[in-house]
Amino acid sequence: MWLWARDACAVRRNHDGSTGVWVIVTFGSRSRCKGTTSMDSPPISRGFRSKQQEQTPQNRLPPGQYVTAGFPVLSAGPTPQIKVQEWTFALQLGGTLLGKWSWAEFESLHQTTIKTDIHCVTKWSKFDTTWQGVTFDDLLKVAGLAEPPAPYIMAHCDGGYTTNLPVADLVGGQGMIATRYEGLPILPAHGGPARLLVPHLYFWKSAKWVRRVRFMDKDEHGFWESLGYHNYGDPWKEQRYDGD
Amino acid sequence: MTGTEAAAVPTRRLEWQPAEVRKIVVETFRVKSLLLHIPDWQGHLPGQHVDIRLTGEDGYQAQRSYSIASPPEDELLTLTVERVDNGEVSPYLIDDLRLGDQFELRGPIGGYFVWTVAMRGPLCLIAGGSGIAPLAAMLRHRERRNVRATALLLYSSRSLEDIIYREELDAMARRDPNLRVINTLTRKQPEGWTGYRRRIDKAMLAEACVPPEQNPKIYICGSTPLVEDASRFLVELGHSPLTIKTERFGPTGGLAS
Amino acid sequence: MTENGSGLFLDGNAAASLLQKIFVLDATAAQIQCEACGSTGAVGSLRLYAAPMGAILRCTNCDGILLRAAHTPHGRWLEMKGARCLRF
Repeated sequence: MWLWARDACAVRRNHDGSTGVWVIVTFGSRSRCKGTTSMDSPPISRGFRSKQQEQTPQNRLPPGQYVTAGFPVLSAGPTPQIKVQEWTFALQLGGTLLGKWSWAEFESLHQTTIKTDIHCVTKWSKFDTTWQGVTFDDLLKVAGLAEPPAPYIMAHCDGGYTTNLPVADLVGGQGMIATRYEGLPILPAHGGPARLLVPHLYFWKSAKWVRRVRFMDKDEHGFWESLGYHNYGDPWKEQRYDGD
Repeated sequence: MTGTEAAAVPTRRLEWQPAEVRKIVVETFRVKSLLLHIPDWQGHLPGQHVDIRLTGEDGYQAQRSYSIASPPEDELLTLTVERVDNGEVSPYLIDDLRLGDQFELRGPIGGYFVWTVAMRGPLCLIAGGSGIAPLAAMLRHRERRNVRATALLLYSSRSLEDIIYREELDAMARRDPNLRVINTLTRKQPEGWTGYRRRIDKAMLAEACVPPEQNPKIYICGSTPLVEDASRFLVELGHSPLTIKTERFGPTGGLAS
Repeated sequence: MTENGSGLFLDGNAAASLLQKIFVLDATAAQIQCEACGSTGAVGSLRLYAAPMGAILRCTNCDGILLRAAHTPHGRWLEMKGARCLRF
């Protein structure tokens, strides 16, 4: 059963040659208008199906998701071309650097390999993906932090992308900075050389091209969270959008 | 019902409507045109596009946008689809879709990349691959309305067999001395080919295109590199950026890799 | 919601249906000026990213974000702090 927002606003277009209208948009302006929900029963396209795996064990698939064999790429901007010789990763609290690693240093940290399912808010899920990298727990340890210094983090990435997370969702093996996918260096289009990986949440939280994790005392919205997407993003509760 | 006036932009809001496949035309080995009947279609302007939506039995939906290749003067709406390998939607449209099948469609959409005969003056169209579709709508509209102002189509394809609407475009140019159709074949050329055999570049545009003094309206549609290069070259050749309109085609990152 | 927009489009033209739900006038034909570098162009000619999550439109000169929009079941979102102004 599908619930869709239908247009509540009438759309008019003027093409009568009237003079242009200047609209000055100031910093931080955001407008928002509510749609109404309604039921839709679209006609079935005979023979159309998603690209599915043979077996889709339903208890592994969060609500509303479809299994894919591919690995779609979605980016908010052009793929940054990052040279690992120039790459660094940092943990930060306010103005203080809690830890910073060059690529060589990062590669020499304790590595963990996990196999997990990933779920994109655009409804595709991919089972049994293998990642290798440094867990958030190991980063805290190596930075000499017995406790996370604040309850939230913002991930900052090459290209300007950001996403926010509770630290509670990164520790206990739930999050890592991943550098390998299926045993090979992560491709730039998929976030290489290093991406955040937090597979129990929608995949927009697994920020590509991560460079810096900044601890925050108060939660702040990242890129998608400030544009109508859910602040937390639990696929099992289908928390796709702000308001879900 | 068709709309043909330049100023009569349909004002009804965008809603999904059923479209029925009435005719399928094989254009090239990778490209088909789907001619659609949409009961309540209010008309469109050449250059506009539609969104289509497919729904599988399991509820899975996929949505894509396609340019309208038919002129507003036509009864049926034509979408020209290129089969993208490993794509999700185009293989279905090319391989599986049959006459009588239906899918959802909404439109027409877009007020920027639009040309009608009411916009006087020379017309300069630059296309790469399946980017020909919205430009074909413009040329077909121009011919149906019997407009004689100068028009040029510069069309880049990989090979002769890849030229979409080839016979129709050649015939159109034969019928109209004011229309020039120039093909460039970038990968493979037939025996005796005397035309261009390279990607569109500044020199080609300088030779082929209507000069800036004649103030042509320019429309470029194709892959991002073609569109961005061609528009940059044309500005360097003296065309005002305001006279150049672009539409980039290509698989988005949403396709499975 | 599978606003899976565009198998074939990569610019602001593909964001037209999303923007049409927010702007009364056709936004793709509007001229937009980049706050970061000052260059001006039509919204339809901007580079589009992040479909299907939303429309992220970037300056063709400096790649700065001029416009971000998303259509969710709970509302339509628009943010344009990267644009100095918009002319319809």
